[in-house]
Order: sequence, then C-alpha cells, then structure tokens
Amino acid sequence: MKKIIVFGVLLSSFIAKSQENLLNLLGDDNEPMYISYLFKGTKVVNGQSVELPSKGVLQFTIQHRFGTLNSGFYNLYGLDNSQVRLGFDYGIKDYLSVGIGRSSAIKKIDMHSKFRIKRQIKEEFPFTVVMNSAIYIKQWQSADAQLEAFLFTNQLSFTNQLLVARKINRDLTIQFSPTMVHYNLVEKSEEPHDKYSVGVGGRYKITKRLSLNSEYFYQLTDKKNNNALSFGFDIETGGHVFQLHLSNSSAMIAPEFITKTNGNWLDGDIYFGFNISRVFTITN
Amino acid sequence: MKVLKIIKIVFLLIICHSVSAQKYISKEGTISFFSDAPLEDISAINKSVSAVYDFESNDLVFSLFITDFVFPKSLMQEHFNENYLESDLYPKSTFIGKVISLNNDVASVKGDLTIHGVTNRINVIGSLIKKDKVRISADFKVQLEDYNIEIPKIVMYKIAEEIEIKVEVELKEIK
Repeated sequence: MKKIIVFGVLLSSFIAKSQENLLNLLGDDNEPMYISYLFKGTKVVNGQSVELPSKGVLQFTIQHRFGTLNSGFYNLYGLDNSQVRLGFDYGIKDYLSVGIGRSSAIKKIDMHSKFRIKRQIKEEFPFTVVMNSAIYIKQWQSADAQLEAFLFTNQLSFTNQLLVARKINRDLTIQFSPTMVHYNLVEKSEEPHDKYSVGVGGRYKITKRLSLNSEYFYQLTDKKNNNALSFGFDIETGGHVFQLHLSNSSAMIAPEFITKTNGNWLDGDIYFGFNISRVFTITN
Repeated sequence: MKVLKIIKIVFLLIICHSVSAQKYISKEGTISFFSDAPLEDISAINKSVSAVYDFESNDLVFSLFITDFVFPKSLMQEHFNENYLESDLYPKSTFIGKVISLNNDVASVKGDLTIHGVTNRINVIGSLIKKDKVRISADFKVQLEDYNIEIPKIVMYKIAEEIEIKVEVELKEIK
C-alpha cells in the first residue's frame, strides 16, 4: 500500500511538473521588462516630458495661453487675451524625435530634438533618461535688420536639459529636469548668459484616461523673476490628448517660462491654458 | 528498503522518459489578432511567441509577452497595453494544454488560456503537421468579457466584443 502511495505521489507530481517544465524550457523569464508610458503627452505641463512621439508618428500640438484670472470681468478673467503656439513633432526613431513650433506673442520660432539615452527597466535600471536640446530664434522686421547693431546671433537662445523620470508605480511618475538656458544676448552686461535651473514634475493617474500633472522650475542662477509653478489635467480621448492647466507663466517655451515668469500665484496672476495634441501615423 | 528501490526505479524511469521524449520548440511563432470595428479595424501581430510540444506526453505550451504585439498605429499599441491588457500588471499570456486527439493532421487541443490574468479552459481545433518539424496552425475566437477586458463606452476605436486569433508556429526538435 505504502509503495503505491509513494509511486502515485511521485507520478502525479511528475505529470503536473511536466507542463511547467515545458514552460521553463522556454526560458523567457529573464528578458528585460521595459517600463513604458511614463506620461501621456510629450509635455508635463509647459516643460518637456520623457515621452517622444513613436517612430513615424507626426504630432500636431495647438497650445493656448490666456490672460491672468485676476484681470477682471472686463477681460473675461483673461480669456480675451490669448496667445498661441503651433507645433509639430516627428518621431524619426523610437528614441529620437525632432520638433518645430512658433509662439505668437513673443514671435519666436523654436526647434528642438529629443534623444532617449536610456529606458527604465524593471529591476535593472531605475530611470528613463532623455536629452532635450532646443534653439529659439526671435523674429525681426526688415527695419530692425537695417540697424547697425543688428546681429542674427543676438536673436538666438538655447535650452539644454536632461530629463530623468521614474515611473514609481503604474499611476505615479516623477521627473527631474536639470536645465541650462543660454541667451546670446542679455539685457545687462553683468547678467550671466547661462542660467541654470532644475525642474521637478510628475503625473498621477486618476483614471485610465485622466491624470493630474504638476511642474515646478527652480532657478539656481540669476533669480530675478519668479519660479514657474503649474498644475494641469491630461485627458485622453483616443486620438487626442487634451491638457488643461493653470500656471503663473503664460509662456510656452523653456527660456521664457523658466527665467521670465512674472506671475505670482498668491497675487492671483494665474494663467489658464490648454494644449491639444493629435497624432498622425505617417509611416510604419 | 523496498520503497527505496521503487523510488530508484521511478527516478530512473523519469530520467529515461525525459531523455527519450521528443520535444519540439519555437521562439518565433506568430500570433495575430483581428477585430472588426465600424470606424477602424484593429489588428496586431506578435512574432516572438514561444511554444513547446512534447510528442510523447502530448503536452502543448505557448507563452508570449503582451508588449511584443505590434500594431500598425503606435497609439493603438499604447491603448492596448495601458488601458485594455494592462501589460504592466499582466505581462504574459500563456496556454497550457494537451493535444487530445490527432487524426490526419487535424488536432484537437484542450487547455488553459491565460490572458489579462484570467484563466479559461478552451478547446481549439487546428492543424498539427509533424514531419522533421512540427507545424501548428489554428484560428479561434475569444470573448473579451471572459478575460475581464473592459471596453469603455466612449472610445474612438469601437472595439468588437469578440476577437479573432490566428496562430502559426513552426517548431524544431530539441536535440
């Protein structure tokens, strides 16, 4: 009787094991698990996120910023005053994208590229790291160009930033963005051309299609203006992502919102704004 | 002492068995799916499907990573992983089953299919052609609700409740 039991136990364990062994034979448990979709959009609020448009995807973004909420009913709490940035981003590779845009009020054209250096891998690498480099050209009128002091290079400014993000859990992502803004031309000679700052941002998914985003840029050098603080919601509706936000900056490009923010949250200088982005698959 | 002897014999048997068993393996199988939708058809293909077939025991096992499904549009792929299959929580889908009959290359397979962390027993008729390699192909349908895959009411891509799945694998003998 004993023998039969021992035999039976051994046999049954063997049968149950055999299929599991087959699974083990596949040996695919060691493959790296990349962490994806740290943010819904390519921007946290104003600043760039670690997300890039995928390869072959063209993203069209319309951004609007209105006047301050404390500007009274006469200005419909800022809605009368609007500025716009139109932008295109294109994914050349999954790890490389380029973009171009123009901001209306300040009349600047911006071009940038994002390069993903490293991706977050579960239990292997804790961050997704992206380099973002941008150049900004201030437009001029022909009368300006005839002035003796006019130099094309004086119209240029630059941003270089490292975006380091970690998806802490499926809902929460935190991003650090050490940033350097460089102006070829500054207002006063004693003003530094290079301005360093560090951005802290994040998103928290409230539902599968809605997330709360926040972003703060702390200026390390030449702090003559306020630090930009923004809050927003990302709403995804299939093909579009809507981002609605409030910020003490009305600018949509990094040099402006990082170093030239005038608004103060406590005084009610709060700008309402939104970004709408739509993606088009151009090639596979 | 007799018990010990029997254990020895059983172990020997197991060893003999596993040595002589004819096993076939593939890591490049293809599984694709298709869904009819009024606005836009949804399809995706996974070309890194692993499969093992044990000719002796008739065990048949499939395994794949959800993130290996490639869609014609990357946004669909994002929604598939993030909103529907939740591949961060359920990275793998597996089938663990047995070939219960094989006549004229027509195989009936029964086993447990796990998708989105939910396991269901399914029965699939397909073709299994064994020469120096083993070719397995099958078509079957799954209901999304059987696997707790929620479809929101308002989405751009209206998604059918039923998804057609196509399996195509060529397995080589393990030597």
